[in-house]
Amino acid sequence: MEITIYHYLALGLAVFVLGIAGSIMSKHVIKMLISIEFILTGVNINFVTFASFCDNVNFNGYIFTLFYTAIGAVEFALALYIFYLMYRSKKTENIDKYGEL
Amino acid sequence: MENAVIFYTLSALIIIFTGLTIKFRNIFYSLLSAMTAFLLVGVLFYLLGSEYNAIIQVAIYGLAVPIILGVAIMFTNTKNEVKEKTSGRMKSVMFLTCGLFILAMVYVVMASLLITPEGFSIAGKTTASHYEVIQAFSRGIFIKYVWAFELVSLILTMVAAGLTLFKHANTEEGR
Repeated sequence: MEITIYHYLALGLAVFVLGIAGSIMSKHVIKMLISIEFILTGVNINFVTFASFCDNVNFNGYIFTLFYTAIGAVEFALALYIFYLMYRSKKTENIDKYGEL
Repeated sequence: MENAVIFYTLSALIIIFTGLTIKFRNIFYSLLSAMTAFLLVGVLFYLLGSEYNAIIQVAIYGLAVPIILGVAIMFTNTKNEVKEKTSGRMKSVMFLTCGLFILAMVYVVMASLLITPEGFSIAGKTTASHYEVIQAFSRGIFIKYVWAFELVSLILTMVAAGLTLFKHANTEEGR
């Protein structure tokens, strides 16, 4: 059986939806951050898939993935710092207690 | 056939470890599952012919991010596991969001099939050599998207400097 572009897109969609579900359901701040990273990973899978299957000359999707990973790392660092500041005052990782944010 | 076996095994493992990340109560186990899933996504990128992205995925999401998160967990763990009982309202919001998203994706695929009856099936996997991929990468980063590249570098530097300054300001306040 041949693996087509749809198989990879379905995998990207599954990771994306699991990320959304995790970010909605999780009460732990760090778990929510990891879920957001899964959303970014789902998008990256789509970028790389489209570049591999539909753009055999410029590979723009690979470059967008690179930028997206860098921006994701920035977002992650900022979110972790905000979590650190909130944790110092709240002393808990439960997202329900972070209403003042 | 071999490709199909590798793809299905890899996909199943990625989805299982992603699900386990959400499922585990213990945040450390959750982090380990996430790390495994990110590493497997790196392998997927390699299979798709993007070695450069695979290395970045493994280095940043597979190693750097879990290490930082591990340190954060060690510094902040209050020993009380956060109770994750999701309310009925939250569950319905989640199912609605996921359902709407999946429907939207199905619509996009159907619309693309209407535009071109063959859909994306006409697209073949890349046949470019490693040299051509690296050449396309450098052309994209240093010529085509050079300003975007510089902007991302600037943002990274600003965040690094900003976080250091914030930390310094907080230390001063603490005194």
